[in-house]
Amino acid sequence: MENMQAVNSFVAAYLKKKGFKEAEQLLEDLQKESAPIDFHNDPDLAKFIHHFSQSEDDVARYQDGYSKLRSWTYSSLDLYKHELLRVLYPVFIHSFMDLVAKGHLQEARTFFNAFHEDHELMHSRDLQKLEGVLSQSHLEEMEFARSLRQNKVNIKICQYSYGLLLQYLHKTQSTAMLGVINEHINFQVTSGQPGSISDDTEVVTLIGSCQDAASLINQKEIHWGLLEDSLEERLEKEGGLLSDSEKAEAENKEGDVDDSKKRSVEGGKQGASTKKLKKDKAVNATAKSARPEAKPTPAAPRVKPELTLPVMSTEVEQSILEDLRNRVQLSSVALPSVSFYTFLNTHNGLNCSSISQDGSLVAGGFSDSSLKVWDMAKLGQQAGSSTLQGENDSTSSEHVAGPNGVKRSYTLFQGHSGPVYSATFSPLGDFILSSSADTTIRLWSTKLNANLVCYKGHNYPVWDVQFSPVGHYFASSSHDRTARIWSMDRIQPLRIMAGHLSDVDCVQWHANCNYIATGSSDRTVRLWDVQSGECVRIFIGHRSMILSLAMSPDGRYMASGDEDGTIMMWDLSSGQCVTPLMGHTSCVWSLAFSCEGTVLASGSADCTVKLWDVKTSTKAPKNEEKSGNPNRLRSLKTLATKSSPVYSLRFSRRNLLFAAGVLSKNV
Amino acid sequence: MSNVPKEAIEVIAQSIGITNLSPDVALALAPDVEYRVREIMQEAIKCMRHSRRTVLTTDDVDSALNLRNVEPICGFASRDALRFKKAAGHKDLFYIDDKDVEFKEVLESPLPKAPLDTSVTSHWLAIEGIQPAIPENASIEAPSDGKKAEYKEDGLSVDVKLPIKHVLSRELQVARNLNNFPLMFALMRVARSLLQNEHLHIEPYLHQLMPSIITCLVAKRLGNKFTENHWELRNFAAKLVASICKRFGHVYHNLQPRVTRTLLHAFLDPTKTFPQHYGAIQGLAALGPSVLLEPEIKRHEAWCVYGALLRAAGLCMYDRLKMFPSLLAPPTRPVWKSNNKVATNKRKASTDTLMQQQPPAKKIATESAIGGSNIGVSSMSRPLSNDNMLGREVGGRVSKTSTVLAQAWKEDTDPGNLLASLFELFGESMLSFTPKPELSFFL
Repeated sequence: MENMQAVNSFVAAYLKKKGFKEAEQLLEDLQKESAPIDFHNDPDLAKFIHHFSQSEDDVARYQDGYSKLRSWTYSSLDLYKHELLRVLYPVFIHSFMDLVAKGHLQEARTFFNAFHEDHELMHSRDLQKLEGVLSQSHLEEMEFARSLRQNKVNIKICQYSYGLLLQYLHKTQSTAMLGVINEHINFQVTSGQPGSISDDTEVVTLIGSCQDAASLINQKEIHWGLLEDSLEERLEKEGGLLSDSEKAEAENKEGDVDDSKKRSVEGGKQGASTKKLKKDKAVNATAKSARPEAKPTPAAPRVKPELTLPVMSTEVEQSILEDLRNRVQLSSVALPSVSFYTFLNTHNGLNCSSISQDGSLVAGGFSDSSLKVWDMAKLGQQAGSSTLQGENDSTSSEHVAGPNGVKRSYTLFQGHSGPVYSATFSPLGDFILSSSADTTIRLWSTKLNANLVCYKGHNYPVWDVQFSPVGHYFASSSHDRTARIWSMDRIQPLRIMAGHLSDVDCVQWHANCNYIATGSSDRTVRLWDVQSGECVRIFIGHRSMILSLAMSPDGRYMASGDEDGTIMMWDLSSGQCVTPLMGHTSCVWSLAFSCEGTVLASGSADCTVKLWDVKTSTKAPKNEEKSGNPNRLRSLKTLATKSSPVYSLRFSRRNLLFAAGVLSKNV
Repeated sequence: MSNVPKEAIEVIAQSIGITNLSPDVALALAPDVEYRVREIMQEAIKCMRHSRRTVLTTDDVDSALNLRNVEPICGFASRDALRFKKAAGHKDLFYIDDKDVEFKEVLESPLPKAPLDTSVTSHWLAIEGIQPAIPENASIEAPSDGKKAEYKEDGLSVDVKLPIKHVLSRELQVARNLNNFPLMFALMRVARSLLQNEHLHIEPYLHQLMPSIITCLVAKRLGNKFTENHWELRNFAAKLVASICKRFGHVYHNLQPRVTRTLLHAFLDPTKTFPQHYGAIQGLAALGPSVLLEPEIKRHEAWCVYGALLRAAGLCMYDRLKMFPSLLAPPTRPVWKSNNKVATNKRKASTDTLMQQQPPAKKIATESAIGGSNIGVSSMSRPLSNDNMLGREVGGRVSKTSTVLAQAWKEDTDPGNLLASLFELFGESMLSFTPKPELSFFL
């Protein structure tokens, strides 16, 4: 105040000096008007303020106001009821937090207990968190509560419902409710009919994260297409010829004899691919004749890789091409075969498992810091040759001798100093990465049976690690709320993706390696650009922690599974949920798309593998948009295991499905 | 206000040596304690999820404490459930019962068995979407279970139901009960009842029913006592088979041919015993004449069958006759022995006739095939005429052997005269192929 006076006198002096008489006069007038009001001497004002503060203290107003609003909403017209019901939840939680913030802890608890059941169905997890808020400091400390307080909730509401609500609030003079609504809800009033009850995603999304930011982010452009010049493409391409340079190389390397062999291979390839082309054409033709307006789904666009990709050796390429040619075509009528690997005698210590691309290697990460790898090809031999492997020590040389001289059926990798939470095989199966609670990621060689590198960078347990589809690069996610991109040859991360509001629980590469997706305990899935490190999509809709992610092979869709057993299919380009898949009753540990993207497999803690028809849902909405809900994804088959929760799933290149789980008795 | 009462705070304070904790402090601390506990639990749940578990363990809580840089709480890692005990003299003071362990005992006790090492096994969870029924897979709802439910619907009592399930599940199990005649008869009646009930959807279980019924029809031995009338059971089963074929034959094309083939197989095999032949014939007879004209059966086979049928009808007559004395007057042991001997002689004879019989039949078959009359109806007349001839021949032979037998029997039993006269009847009946009236006559 003194400062202000000094400034004023200075200004007055200045004006006087310069001779601005009118301005001087004005300033004087102003100063008189804005003379500080003496609160204590003005009885009216004091009374007003007193009343105001009293009314602030009036806890019952929240309780009454909310309970009246609630009963009014429930008795409102059916047509508008569901829209009005959406308003209740934000009002409820903010009323609760207002009460806590004002220090009425006891009353807040009673208020919470009285009304929380209404919202238990939709928001049980949020409520669980909020229930623990018992003082102002908790509100400050808890990130969830803070973000709720700071951000306004967007609610879409139709004109009429909005009118009804305002009318009610004015008529009943419930200023507390009005205050809450004004402060925390941002109505997006739309003219016309009330929205349908089914787009309840809105209801969920409005809580917790800033929706404006999310929708802004989701407008960014992404290139979800597949990589140029991929092997699949080359196989499909007419002639299926190898590129010129490779051909020249190959010719230099191999003699004439090999050349002829090669030609024959090429011929075969050519035959196969032309056949396929013809078939495709035929399919297109029939599709056209059946539905003239429906265009055949366009092939995924091609994009350039943003990363320098590792070079593949020709032998590997050949074997992959061989696999691709022998691939079984899966569809809703041709279901895959499933080979199930059961872990026995894990004593509750198995945290994760991973299966190599060809299914020959199975890794398990244990809570005793060990990583164990089984060679399934050898396992088969053992079963044949020696059944008494336990008693008979001198049976086979295949067993790896442990330090105690005890023969083991697996290779033991020791090095971590905390529970191993994730493991992943490189595409060729020659490396394994494991992440642990000791905040490190370790790279192991399956050829040398040794630890090669220890990557340090995360500050907290690393929950997940995933090799990129081309190898060399990998992504990790951690309790420190970041995801990081690494390359095998550097011990420092290349990129750090920060933005999640809670633990990053799982990570998955996009098929074209330009993006990674991360699932978090903040119940969002985010898509990040690997090159720029920016978040390019936020997928909001899950109601609990996200545990598993899978990307469709055509790069267009993503599936995510959560703690409650819900699986959601997302369209990457729009950032919208295509459809939720309900069916599992417990945590979805693993998801996998078949190689041509027609079948989605999900493995869950409810001891089942479910197969879902993905084609019907993902393609249909494109053709006949908003024709209704019959195009929901359907469950094709539920394969029950014998009390083995399914930990991991993997489709081989030939579309054989591998699943791994642990036999547990207390399920 | 909070779920943690202030008394708990006071107790904790006392336990760490703070005796003069003011109530205000306890009151203020209680909500914060609750918040911290919730926070720890939230982290512990994360650790649980990342350990792929759905049950929270003490390890998870320890990891969560680790994440928060709090020292883990030791002493709770044991698998046993903790027992809280009430402190004597206090209303709401509890403590954990921590037993004293004798050091010496621990040292001297034998080492516990080493836990089994982790291993991995593999099996097919599904083959092209179908789960194979192997022990590694969870048992799929067995069809027999569905049947069980249907029994319940049917209002049958439980004690009847169980043996049925046992018997019908696998044929082997039927075989195990083959000497329990009353049970088998009861089962066949149950099967008939099931078949007759229009409200039951029995079709999916036919494949399970059929082997048992066929077994009751053509089994070598049914029941372990001679007094048990297994013939009746065979007749019953034959009728049952026929009714099944009639009802479901048009739905399952291969049902009747399969039944026929099974019966023919039993019947054409000369090593089979007479009761088996009898059963096969009864079955075929019950199925009706159209069976033999089924296109699936080769023509010559049909001829063999037809001829053999006639012959075997004779045999069945013979069997009846053989039984006749035993039914009228239970014979002594020596009698039965001689009869057995006779029977074996007879069988040799029958095989002979069979051998002789086949070539002409084949010839006829080829002839008719050359004739190009593939349509069964048009070729009916010729076979019939031939058949008369054949039958006569066979009948002659049989009657010849039978007269010998009659002589043999004459020595043992009284009703020799009766038998002799019956042989004439028997011969005629061969030609007309209607043994039943005669049987009823002399039975």
